[in-house]
Amino acid sequence: MTKYLDLSIKEINELLKDKKIKPIDLVNEAFERIEASDLNAFITLNKEEAIKEALELENKEIDNILFGIPVAIKDNIVTKGLRTTAASHILDDFNPIYDAEVIKKIKDKHMIIVGKTNMDEFAMGSTGETSYFGNTLNPWDKKMVPGGSSSGSAASVGARLVPIALGTDTGGSIRQPSSFCGVVGLKPTYGRVSRYGLIAFASSLDQIGPITRNVYENALMLNVIAGQDDKDMTSSYEEVKDYTCLIGEDVKGMKIAIPKFYMSETIDKEVRDKVENVTKILKDKGCTVDYVDMKYVSSAIPLYQVIALGEASSNLARYDGVRYGYVTKDFKDINELYKMTRYEGFGREVKRRLMIGSYILSGKNADKYYRKALIVRKKLTDEFKSILSKYDLIIGPTNTNVAYPIGTKLDDALKSFYDDLLTIPVNMAGLPAMSLPIGFKNGLPVGMHIIGNYFSEEEIYKLGSFVEKELNLNLDPRGDK
Amino acid sequence: MYEVVVGIEVHVELKSNSKVFSHSQNEYSNEPNIYVNEIDLGMPGVLPVLNKKVIEMALQASLALNCKINKVMHFDRKNYFYPDLPKGYQITEQDTPIGYDGYIDIGDKKIGIERLHIEEDTCKSIHGKTGTMLNANRAGVPLIEIVSKPDMRSPEDAVAYLTKLREILLYLGISDVKIEEGSMRCDCNVSLHKPGTPFGTKIEIKNIGSINNVGEAIKYEIKRQSEILDREGFIKHEETRRLDDKTMTTILMRVKETGNDYRYFPEPDIPYVEISDDWINEVKANMPVFADELKEKYEALGINSNNLKTIISRLDLVEFLESVIDSCDPIIASNLLTGDILSYLNKNYVSINKIKLNSDNFVELVNNIKEDKVSSKQAKEIIPYLCENGGTLADAISKLGIEEINDISAIKDIIKKVLDSNPESIKDFKEGKDRAIKYLMGQVMKESKGKVNPKTANDLLMSLIREY
Repeated sequence: MTKYLDLSIKEINELLKDKKIKPIDLVNEAFERIEASDLNAFITLNKEEAIKEALELENKEIDNILFGIPVAIKDNIVTKGLRTTAASHILDDFNPIYDAEVIKKIKDKHMIIVGKTNMDEFAMGSTGETSYFGNTLNPWDKKMVPGGSSSGSAASVGARLVPIALGTDTGGSIRQPSSFCGVVGLKPTYGRVSRYGLIAFASSLDQIGPITRNVYENALMLNVIAGQDDKDMTSSYEEVKDYTCLIGEDVKGMKIAIPKFYMSETIDKEVRDKVENVTKILKDKGCTVDYVDMKYVSSAIPLYQVIALGEASSNLARYDGVRYGYVTKDFKDINELYKMTRYEGFGREVKRRLMIGSYILSGKNADKYYRKALIVRKKLTDEFKSILSKYDLIIGPTNTNVAYPIGTKLDDALKSFYDDLLTIPVNMAGLPAMSLPIGFKNGLPVGMHIIGNYFSEEEIYKLGSFVEKELNLNLDPRGDK
Repeated sequence: MYEVVVGIEVHVELKSNSKVFSHSQNEYSNEPNIYVNEIDLGMPGVLPVLNKKVIEMALQASLALNCKINKVMHFDRKNYFYPDLPKGYQITEQDTPIGYDGYIDIGDKKIGIERLHIEEDTCKSIHGKTGTMLNANRAGVPLIEIVSKPDMRSPEDAVAYLTKLREILLYLGISDVKIEEGSMRCDCNVSLHKPGTPFGTKIEIKNIGSINNVGEAIKYEIKRQSEILDREGFIKHEETRRLDDKTMTTILMRVKETGNDYRYFPEPDIPYVEISDDWINEVKANMPVFADELKEKYEALGINSNNLKTIISRLDLVEFLESVIDSCDPIIASNLLTGDILSYLNKNYVSINKIKLNSDNFVELVNNIKEDKVSSKQAKEIIPYLCENGGTLADAISKLGIEEINDISAIKDIIKKVLDSNPESIKDFKEGKDRAIKYLMGQVMKESKGKVNPKTANDLLMSLIREY
């Protein structure tokens, strides 16, 4: 069995350029690994097409560093002709008629899509357990959840099945599983990456981002997917940078803030210690690290429940059995068609969230909850802006704790939202943020959160790569290479 | 005695090139589902892209209807389940209609406009024997909804309001405003009350098929509701009814349930739209000339009131007349346009800009008629020819074989021939019987197959006859 996929992207690129390996070698190795894995990280494999593409690439010039690299795509990003389910029964035979904008960009770079990764149904969940296709397992300990909703994307990169995956993040769905699986996951600034072709959960929060084995490769992938798109009016005209540009630069003089809330008693002691450890290193290297107060950050979960679920109740109305997707077998009239299709097609968590969301927007509740939430959201955003006018970055833990056993939170609707306690505020403000592995607790990875200012992902990468190098952790769950 | 109170909601399809939130063509077709893409179908993952041209058209309409403008506006989602609604919500403007608080002058009074907003149309449901089919060509077609204030007090007010509204939108060139084809749809709210007391219970009559039928529906409702009020004192429920245009009565569709809950919230996929003063001023500066102004102008030029009415009601004729009016006689031009040209257009279901007749050959024709170089008899043949084939007037005349004989000696020969063979008539003429000339002229025209100019021939006849 070859081990090309344990090499860095840079090394793989050299081998390709030197004609020592071909794209098909990478694709074959990826499928060997995926097929030998029991993590349930994939819903649909793209084997036939991937092999065909790899062979076609043999006649093409290697024009960029990601040429021929296998990539896994979260199954809520639509791929033309390749089944896209959002891990839901209601779309379990759905074949999109178009490619998402990020997929077009990936294909332009001649990256090879190996398959669609498992996830929480419609990205609603933080454990992977709400998937219609069964839960994904954590590569560090198969009794543990991998986090969610980008469960399969984080697990497949963590287990070294693929070097790069795309995830999506509405309240922490890239960062939380990245943290649980010991990988690097970035949620870009809202508007940095086109949402066209991302199956909407909460339109004002959703963002696509890369999940990778290390910081540099994360920046490489952001270079591919970032940019304004005429098909997404919320995408930004802000200039796209080379996001690797500050990697390796000295961090001396960087000003860093830690919100006190992020280091409060709610957060596990050992997790806080790991962050403290990094803080110490940063101070030693000449960074300023200050604790700051944030008043509105604690409102994030109720805000999320109102805004995200309100939007979701509208975004998921189109799955009605009329045009595509699952249709109930027997129905007397149109109302029964709707009712039974949605009753049978959606899972419990999705239905719970749709009911809450519909209630929140009903009649006078829209003013009582939704409009009020928009006001608080603005205040929370202003608070972040104010801190980021004085500091370069904000850091803290990504999660309150490390991965926990499968089955523990499934029936506690509120608890699962608390997984996103520290990540949701970032989506509310539309800021970019990354989760970076900074150590282990009982053999499970701990993630650090690095939050940056709007459209300054390169600053996050700068600090992230520095910390990564300083800690020099072995992040391969298979042990020593 | 009861007083009727009427408010009207009108939906108008805008004729932008593409749909309001996608690049699909905005076209009507008998073939279903050809002007459709993934956005119109509400596929998973799609996002709306706002068509700026639609905003501009709605802005034109708002300003023409004297509305105030919401300079910062956003779109909202109206959530409900219906098979013709692909996304499960309609994108509309609930909170910030682009225009509000305007009015239309209908002569003796002003009818208030409550609001004018942009929204998207739905699929068209086609109910067949085996089930209902959906045609998504219409899904995402831009609409403006214009809601009047309850300011109308008679069927005549309502008809005048709609006529005027239609005319304004027609002149803006933003819609075909054809009720029969669905590009303009009228829903009418009718209630009765005794003046000085609160308004009565509203009855809505949906989708009335013509402006005149709106008047008829209101007349019927006045009668129907008066009878109920006389008998019972009040009307129990708000209702939705429809007009049966065979019997001109309204028929109950459904009793309205209280408070439809559309769960409105701001559309997160479309950023707020800012309408600058510059944009507003630019649109104002480019307003077309409206019907009232044209009526005055055409009256002053001596165009008769029948012709004027006909021309004003068709924007293509207005535009055509405007393009030629400085180069030829307006009265002759209006006669031709509303006569043979309009019959040709109606017979072929086309507008004047789609035929071969153009301002050049039209002006040539009018000027030649004016100078008696073309007779009205010739014109009758020339017009359909030019409409069909175009080209110059001379071409038309030669192709039709109706050129005039202009050679004086040739005309004289014909007249002499006629005089030679009609001594009786010459005698009659000399005895002072005027009708002899008429008869002789008839013979001249017959002999020349109508190709001599009547005036020239008449003059020559008068001089030649004296030589006999």
